[in-house]
Amino acid sequence: MSFTLLKRGLRPNRPPAPMWREHPLQDHYDVVIIGGGAHGLATAYYLATVHGITDVAVLEKRYIGSGASGRNTAILRSNYLTPEGILFYDESIKLYENLASELDFNVMFSQRGHLTLAHTDSSMRTMQWRAEVNQIQNVDSRVISPAEVKKLVPFIDTSDRPRYPIMGALYHPPGGVIRHDAVVWGYARAADAKGVHIHQQTEVTGIDVEHNRVVAVQTNRGRIATGTVLNATAGWCSLIAAMAGVRLPVETRPLQACVTEPLKPFLDTVIVSGTFHFYLSQSDRGELVMGASVNPFASYSTDATLDFAEALAGHVLELFPSLAKVRLLRHWAGLCDMTPDFSPIMGTTPVDGFLVDVGWGTYGFKAAPVSGKRMAELIATNRTPELIAPFAYDRFFTGQIVGEKGAAAVTN
Amino acid sequence: MSPGRLAVHPSHLIDQSRPVEFLFDGRTYKGFEGDTVASALWAAGVRMFSRSFKYHRPRAPFAMTGADTNCMVRAGDEPNVRACVKLVAPGLNVTPQNVWPSLNADLMSLSSLAARFMPAGFYYRTFMRPKFLWPWYERVLRNAAGLGYVTLETPSTYYDKEYGFAELLVIGGGPSGMSAALSAAGRGARVVLLEESPYLGGHLRHERQTVETATGERLPAYQLAARLSDRVFANRNISVELETNAFGIYEDLWIGAAKRDTRLLKIRAQSLILANGAFERPLVFENNDLPGVMLGSAAWRLLHLYATMPGRRAVVVSANDDGLRVAIDLHAAGIEVAAVVELRNDPDPTLAAALRARGIDVKVRSVVVKAHGRRRVERVTIGQMTDESPSLSGTVDVTPGTREVVKCDLVTVSIGWTPATGLLHQAGGQTAYDTTAAESRVTQLPERVRAAGRVSGTHDVTTAMAEGEMHGLDAAAELGLGDGASTELREKVASLKATQLIRNSSAVHVRGGKMAFVSFDEDVTVKDINDSVAEGYSSMELLKRYSTLSMGPSQGKYESTNTMALCSAANDEPIATTGSTTSRPPFHPVSLGVLAGRKMEPVKHTPMHDWHVEHGARMMNVGLWKRPEHYGDPAEEVLTTRRGVGLIDVSTLGKLQVIGSDVPELLEMLYINRWRKLAPGRVRYGVMCTDEGMISDDGIAANLGADRWYVTTTTGGADGVYENIEWNLQSGWTFDVHVANVTDHYAAMNLTGPRAVDILREVTDIDLRGDALPYMSVREGHVAQVPARVMRIGFTGELGLEIHVAAGYGLHVWETLMDAGRAHGIIAFGVEAQRIMRLETGHFIVGQDTDALTDPYMANLERAVRTDKPDFLGRPSLVHIEQRGIRSKLVGYRMLDAHVVPPEGSQIVVPDSTRPIGLEIIGRITSARYSPTLDASIGLCWLPADGCEPGAEFTARVRGDLLPGRVVSLPHYDPKAG
Repeated sequence: MSFTLLKRGLRPNRPPAPMWREHPLQDHYDVVIIGGGAHGLATAYYLATVHGITDVAVLEKRYIGSGASGRNTAILRSNYLTPEGILFYDESIKLYENLASELDFNVMFSQRGHLTLAHTDSSMRTMQWRAEVNQIQNVDSRVISPAEVKKLVPFIDTSDRPRYPIMGALYHPPGGVIRHDAVVWGYARAADAKGVHIHQQTEVTGIDVEHNRVVAVQTNRGRIATGTVLNATAGWCSLIAAMAGVRLPVETRPLQACVTEPLKPFLDTVIVSGTFHFYLSQSDRGELVMGASVNPFASYSTDATLDFAEALAGHVLELFPSLAKVRLLRHWAGLCDMTPDFSPIMGTTPVDGFLVDVGWGTYGFKAAPVSGKRMAELIATNRTPELIAPFAYDRFFTGQIVGEKGAAAVTN
Repeated sequence: MSPGRLAVHPSHLIDQSRPVEFLFDGRTYKGFEGDTVASALWAAGVRMFSRSFKYHRPRAPFAMTGADTNCMVRAGDEPNVRACVKLVAPGLNVTPQNVWPSLNADLMSLSSLAARFMPAGFYYRTFMRPKFLWPWYERVLRNAAGLGYVTLETPSTYYDKEYGFAELLVIGGGPSGMSAALSAAGRGARVVLLEESPYLGGHLRHERQTVETATGERLPAYQLAARLSDRVFANRNISVELETNAFGIYEDLWIGAAKRDTRLLKIRAQSLILANGAFERPLVFENNDLPGVMLGSAAWRLLHLYATMPGRRAVVVSANDDGLRVAIDLHAAGIEVAAVVELRNDPDPTLAAALRARGIDVKVRSVVVKAHGRRRVERVTIGQMTDESPSLSGTVDVTPGTREVVKCDLVTVSIGWTPATGLLHQAGGQTAYDTTAAESRVTQLPERVRAAGRVSGTHDVTTAMAEGEMHGLDAAAELGLGDGASTELREKVASLKATQLIRNSSAVHVRGGKMAFVSFDEDVTVKDINDSVAEGYSSMELLKRYSTLSMGPSQGKYESTNTMALCSAANDEPIATTGSTTSRPPFHPVSLGVLAGRKMEPVKHTPMHDWHVEHGARMMNVGLWKRPEHYGDPAEEVLTTRRGVGLIDVSTLGKLQVIGSDVPELLEMLYINRWRKLAPGRVRYGVMCTDEGMISDDGIAANLGADRWYVTTTTGGADGVYENIEWNLQSGWTFDVHVANVTDHYAAMNLTGPRAVDILREVTDIDLRGDALPYMSVREGHVAQVPARVMRIGFTGELGLEIHVAAGYGLHVWETLMDAGRAHGIIAFGVEAQRIMRLETGHFIVGQDTDALTDPYMANLERAVRTDKPDFLGRPSLVHIEQRGIRSKLVGYRMLDAHVVPPEGSQIVVPDSTRPIGLEIIGRITSARYSPTLDASIGLCWLPADGCEPGAEFTARVRGDLLPGRVVSLPHYDPKAG
């Protein structure tokens, strides 16, 4: 038992210490980060801890973690397709592995393994490709047989009864799930402790640019003078960028997800099926957490749709027929900013002092620590770290697009 | 009358002449037809049903509505079943949940002893060190959490779906819902009425109070229920769906409902009236979850629906007239009422007098402080509230000297109602907390949506009926039926609503004690809320996520108001400022089986499918299609075809019929190639690119003459190409063309090999002599006496004749060709043989050898890209790529060891000691086969554009080994040369 819990248990009438504090909004900050999600808070945390930059404000329109950080299905993996992608996500996984002890907050990273199922010979080929690239990057990842899948997941139907029988799977033992809210809260607490100001219920209404240089951010609570602004939003990233006069090649689409009522544990690994368009894991609370592809149309709506729930249930039962009587409990949607090459946009923009960490599609949560760390490095040193250089804004004008699209049917 | 049961009464749902035996926890129990598992077990004296989520505390029915989770059990093979609405059935096997090893001796219940060390979110603060133990900690946590379990034996069942249309949809069959349905139906509207219970009447059915109808008639509530219900069932404009849970209201009044947990109803409503009532509000006090503590309405349901004694000796907690009526009804049923603990100091004098007349003591300004008992309530401590205590909201204290302990086995709580606004919010309605009414009131409703009865804050029955009638008339008027409600009715509803008695106390929490639960689902206590807010989780959404309040299976239906009130108190702000969390579907949990319905995974068979199966084909999935992979020996299929002739079914190719004077213009835009000069009778291979200039599909287009063209796409690309053309035609291109996707309308087969012409000649009227049908040309005529298109094209290097006929003739033509070919040694070949042959010839496959980053320059198609055309899909990007040059290239290779075939996806590497395993990736193998023709391991691979000339050697990492290969020029095999 932790000392904190022991102390609290023995002094039940003393209120626990606050995780973060409220501050008056200053009229100047060295750095203003727009977006109080995992990316924004991680950047603030690494700015403060690694680079000693603490005059930082994180502005959040609602409450911290209210956007994509609290709406994703919290799957972590590093078995990507391109060497750039693998290096990047592998650093993220490594940061995640040590996050609980670094932040002294249990983010419950549960590395129970990740299975991407293959139901066609073409997806078998892609799995092989990914496994080969992963192995050469020293990422634990291999193609396994249906019998091995069955051993890992007794509830899955590996017979030829499903419309698309399982032909094999890419097995990635270090993949798993994490408690997404805890990541947000852990970063928030640690950033707050270092002096970062977290302003919730603070909406950005404008960005002042003079002579192609950021000078201030306008909010519903007043103006903040600053020379450095990081757009770390999702869902509205193109609208925020437009405030600074920067156009982003982003199309926003809702992504829905849902959970069932809690059940006793029966599923350890994360299951992804591209052919059946779903992914599935069982949380520590016992809920099955399920998701599928982004909606087929652009929208800012976070409404759930019935046809999504119907199709998802049908596809899940195709592979897990004995779950027919399990009940769907909650169903929600988040917003995903899709870029043309299914890769993020990170770094500087044509407007001096206006940086972006956006376009995270359906894979942003996996990258929060590494993005935060490297964006903080960029802000502090004014040099773009090599790891994020492939994701520069100007690639869309030079034709150097990144290659994760090849494997992005269902990207979790 | 049976033991534990009351005398038969018209309001009962059970038939005491029809016993039903079922099992609970291994023992046989007797109930009656119409009983729920909970009512039958309660009547039999069972007081513990399951264990709670976190502390594994004993739990038993609390609300009897199916909306709380205190009586979740396993029934048959179904987990998480609400015993309070699950009807008994002969032999039904009911077992408790979340218990180990047994319901009575549950070891995990010991966790409540350590509750002080397990505050909300305790798991975020511990189990971190040492790190290597976390998987073990997690296993323990996971096993303790969860509720029901699933087994592999649960069969996969299918359910049907039902689609409905309603001019007016009414959700809720209580007094307001029935009045709304009747008034709208009276004007001619077609009404659908959804009711979750197996009966109509709502709360009237289990209440005995005298109510007044619109005409001033006074009668007992249950009789009014019966009267309205009879009228609804008799009305031919109203269709009633009982036992139907409306769980979701989606965009444009698209409603999802689950009927008897076995059927999904999907209803498009023109107009919606929500009349789905309210949830009674729990009181928060120490041990308020002990079995025997229940809502007043739950006691009513047991008494008046199931003829079941809720207890023998009751303490009634009351803060509204419902509480006093519960006391009267309990007494009338023969239950001793030990005390009425009344929070108000001025209870209704008539009801109070009625109680006194029965010898029942009403203790005003009193409250229950704590329930005592191990597995069921045995006693309660009650006391007088201090003068400083608010009477009907917030935290109250008891004057120390006034405490007394009362023996009882039943505590009923009637302190107020929380409108069931979940569906209303889903429909787009808004509410705000009204401090005077002590409930959330509707502030805004979208068009075509109305709310009547308790959900809209109308608690009085007469008023609710008038309100329902008014909305029913207005909804009908909106449909063009009648003039809507009269001004008189409108004014009457307004004045009745304004003057109705307040029946609510806001959340009341009695101070003291640690196990005062706000959430029974998740075992969240008042202290948990206060601590969470102090930690900074101060908004409702953060509080929810941290403490898990309202995240349990009841989704906060019974805890929402108490949570709001306690959260606002902890923040020292008004409840209205605190707000609530977002309501999302499903309002009631709905099973995956019901959502999924029947299996809907379409399969496409070509017209020759059965022939393939009969001839021993091994079938494979290709998109929606089934295709023969091979008929036993693909290598033999290759050799026979190359030596003589083979026939392959290519019906799955995408096929478009494109007609119009601008077809060449359309093709110029779609493909990177040129089309304008393609003469009638000629065929050309074309490649399509995305806006980014990446290869998206390939195929051929045949000019049939007279503005008629026939275009084929890849098997997987058919729908995408068609949609892309349509999208462009509808959003900008103004060509005179008509495009039809005729993929499924034509069967197609390719007769391949040196003897192909000899065979086709025997069965066609098309001229095949000499150069009459040159390579890359098309002719129309007859094959096997049916109209056919024949194209001379080849994917295999051999002479290939692709024959397209109407799908219905496919099998006939196939069999005719096989018969005609017998003398020539014809063989049917499958996808695998075709893949080997195309690889021998060096053709790439879109999506296998190319990916989303392959441009035509990389795939050796530089001559096909006509950037000199003014415009086409991908041109701007291709111009850029042409200038920039390419970095990698698709080339042919042979492995030096002819018998090593690398798995497709293997990487081509060079040593680099700075890399993790000393290798750097420079390319990859996309197609690899053993070529029976060449006795070689051949394939296609990506290599850096510099240094990939034929003869260059490379190293491939094949199953972990580093093996040499050599770049060769394509084709690997040329039949004409060979």
